[in-house]
Amino acid sequence: MISEQAKQQIDTWVAKYPAGYQSSAVMEALKIVQAENDGSLTSELIQAVADYLEMPVISAHEVATFYENYNHKPVGKHVIRFCHNISCMLNGADDLISYLETKTGVKTGEVSEDGLVSVKKVECLGACVGAPMFQIGDQYYENLTPQKIDEILDGLQ
Amino acid sequence: MVDIEIEIDGNVVHGHSGESIISIADREGIDIPRFCYHKKLSVAANCRMCLVDVEGNPKPQPACSTPASAGMRVHTNNEKAKASQKAVMEFLLINHPLDCPICDQGGECELQDVAMEYGSDVSKFNEGKRIVADKGIGALIQTDMTRCIHCTRCVRFGAEVAGIVEMGATGRGEELKIEPFLSEGIQSELSGNMIDVCPVGALTSKPFRYEVRSWQMSSVQSVARHDLVGSNVFTQTHKGKVKRVVARDNESVNETWISDRDRFSYEGLANENRALTPKIKVKGEWQEVSWETALEAAISGIKKNSAEAFGALASKNATLEELYLLQKLTRELGSENLDTRLDVANPSSASALETTISLTGLEAVDHALIINSYLRLEQPMINHRIRKATLQGAKVSTVNAKAFDFNYRVASSVLSAPQNTVVTLSGVLKVLLESNSQALPDYLKGTKVNQAQIDIANALSAAENGVVVLGEQVSSNPCADQVAKLVEQIAKASNAKTLNASATGNTLSAEKVSFKPNGGLNAKQMFDADLNAFVLLDVYPAFDCVDSAAAIENLSRDDAFVVALNSFEDASVLSFADVILPLASFYETSGTHINIENVAQSYSASVKAAGDSKPGWKVLKVLADLLELPGFDYTDSSQVADDALSLSPSLAATEVDIIAMEVPNIATVWQYTPYASDVLTRHSQSLQQTQIGQVSEATVSEATAKILELSQGDCYKGVPVNINETVAEGCVFVHTNQARQR
Repeated sequence: MISEQAKQQIDTWVAKYPAGYQSSAVMEALKIVQAENDGSLTSELIQAVADYLEMPVISAHEVATFYENYNHKPVGKHVIRFCHNISCMLNGADDLISYLETKTGVKTGEVSEDGLVSVKKVECLGACVGAPMFQIGDQYYENLTPQKIDEILDGLQ
Repeated sequence: MVDIEIEIDGNVVHGHSGESIISIADREGIDIPRFCYHKKLSVAANCRMCLVDVEGNPKPQPACSTPASAGMRVHTNNEKAKASQKAVMEFLLINHPLDCPICDQGGECELQDVAMEYGSDVSKFNEGKRIVADKGIGALIQTDMTRCIHCTRCVRFGAEVAGIVEMGATGRGEELKIEPFLSEGIQSELSGNMIDVCPVGALTSKPFRYEVRSWQMSSVQSVARHDLVGSNVFTQTHKGKVKRVVARDNESVNETWISDRDRFSYEGLANENRALTPKIKVKGEWQEVSWETALEAAISGIKKNSAEAFGALASKNATLEELYLLQKLTRELGSENLDTRLDVANPSSASALETTISLTGLEAVDHALIINSYLRLEQPMINHRIRKATLQGAKVSTVNAKAFDFNYRVASSVLSAPQNTVVTLSGVLKVLLESNSQALPDYLKGTKVNQAQIDIANALSAAENGVVVLGEQVSSNPCADQVAKLVEQIAKASNAKTLNASATGNTLSAEKVSFKPNGGLNAKQMFDADLNAFVLLDVYPAFDCVDSAAAIENLSRDDAFVVALNSFEDASVLSFADVILPLASFYETSGTHINIENVAQSYSASVKAAGDSKPGWKVLKVLADLLELPGFDYTDSSQVADDALSLSPSLAATEVDIIAMEVPNIATVWQYTPYASDVLTRHSQSLQQTQIGQVSEATVSEATAKILELSQGDCYKGVPVNINETVAEGCVFVHTNQARQR
């Protein structure tokens, strides 16, 4: 289930911890495996990661469900991770999320029909200075307005 | 550890430096409310219920994770402590459904008790409560996770005690749930203890669900006699029925845990297959008769035959009293044909391997060599002690026919078919003796040694507190005596202790009263000799006898008169028996269990025997009286126990020669699932529905399968074949809940 290439990547993380503590690499391992499986995890993939790191599968599952960064349903090519914590909320995040939903036709937690975008509400991404904001891939988009959202969406392929 | 003095609620109490406040308070009988703290589990400090006021601290401190220090002044019920406890209680009750009237935990619920004391009678919470969907975790534990307060006791129990991490806390915040990864069911053989540790009604007993309210039951102290430990239990009864079995604390025996087998086997008592009325066979037809008639028929049949033609076979799970009376009856009749070792391939009169280690002593070992045993399933509580030793760094090595799934890491393992076990152990012994510069006995001179044997020998001789454990599977081995002898020698050469778990149940009671032929015939020889009269004490040959077909065939002879004392009806017993005397089952009779430490634990009957069945000791006493045998003037089972316990085993040990015996090229190791190990568990439906209970496979390696012309999915002795390389060459490992077939 895990490609050789991904295993090599995981091994570099395992090597950072003392011998016998390979399960410490679980967060990175889940991230690596998620990345090579179109951005989401399944029970089988979590099982494979747990087996590879010789840890109880429920412990890997605990990590995978604790953090927002792991997706447990298929996601679009671009995941729009919209912050809805206090700074963004005070600056109108909720209205902008509704706008984004209407504009893309995608409800939070779902994927667009063409598989291009999915929308996810996330906790604080540490960019309160630029609230309201969202993240696509590794890129932060700050001080969002409906116009700005339109431009960003138009740029997605 | 330094003794310190602290003050709790104005009382001066003593503790050790570093000990938690709650543990000192518990010892002193000072009540501090708690949910997540459990004396046998690690400290999580996540429920915050045990907040107490420690003078000098601005904030209240959790008593479970605050170490006591000299001169500390603690208040558990001043205003500050009470205010915090009340606040925590309010938070804990926010999402709790308060469905106590329909909750099985009601009446014995820690949350209910603490809420009575510390809760408010009015809730300020008007919002919707959280609801958690239940995944379902198997046949033994009922989940109602909406009631869960996230104390994580069950999670810690799995990780720390059961050794299989199955439950976990997934999600976070409002979404946090306690659940297993998949809903396939919990696999631990100790899982039922999660019910005991759960402070609320989230995990309750599934077979007990909606049976009766907890306060309507009476608790009777009893002892479980499924294994060599004799775990202490409470049987909880209502209207003459056992409704539930829970653990009873006994630090030196079972601590606070019991195995699932001990906990759920009681279900079999209410099974419809119980033998409830005396029966005699008249012209091939069964007739239900009175006890008088049945006993009359029994003694006239026994009297017709000579003493030499009389044999008695008994279950290993019988009580000490039953075994004592049956051997006395047999010996008074003038027969020495006695045996409980029905499942042993080659029962001999050799002295059994002695156990020289205590249960608590097992926790202190630094190396354990486990031979012929799936100890985790055979003797869960003994295995638990060894697991505790491994947590302190002990290493485990095994010599087994199959690579078993232990709940600790096995450092080195040797796969060895029964016919090779003597050779494997001889090699280990040779290395040990050579490293001690001791002279080699003749039988070791030609022994070749390989690296695996050297590793095991070195690990054993490096260990300061080693133990060698001999398990149940050795009974399938025709060379069992030689194996036992080698174990003894290996232990001697490495200064290790020994633990004999080769026969389970109340087998040490059988040893105590010498329920073995002293010059007479053993089980196998009795069948070979075509005896004319048998008394079977709770024996079911289809399951219990090593060659079940031959046993049944022999017992079915026209000239074989069979009296069967049975707690359950069984088709094969009905086919060959002439008289059936219904026998009181577990918890229905008073009795005594002798455990692995040679501790005799007596218990009284928890409930009256079902139907017309009677306790075995009474039946055997009356039988002896009717046979006009002297010395059976007992009025109470405790008198029988006193007589039995005053005996000292009289069997002279015979020498065992370690010689190559003729053994088949391909051997079968037959092991029942722990839930098919005795007649009561076989009739407990819930245990049968567990993953452990449903196993039925004959594992064989590819090469061996080729020789036997078996392919995947075929049946071997009625058990589906599974070909893989976890099993030793030259043997078939059968793990099953099915009766033995040829």
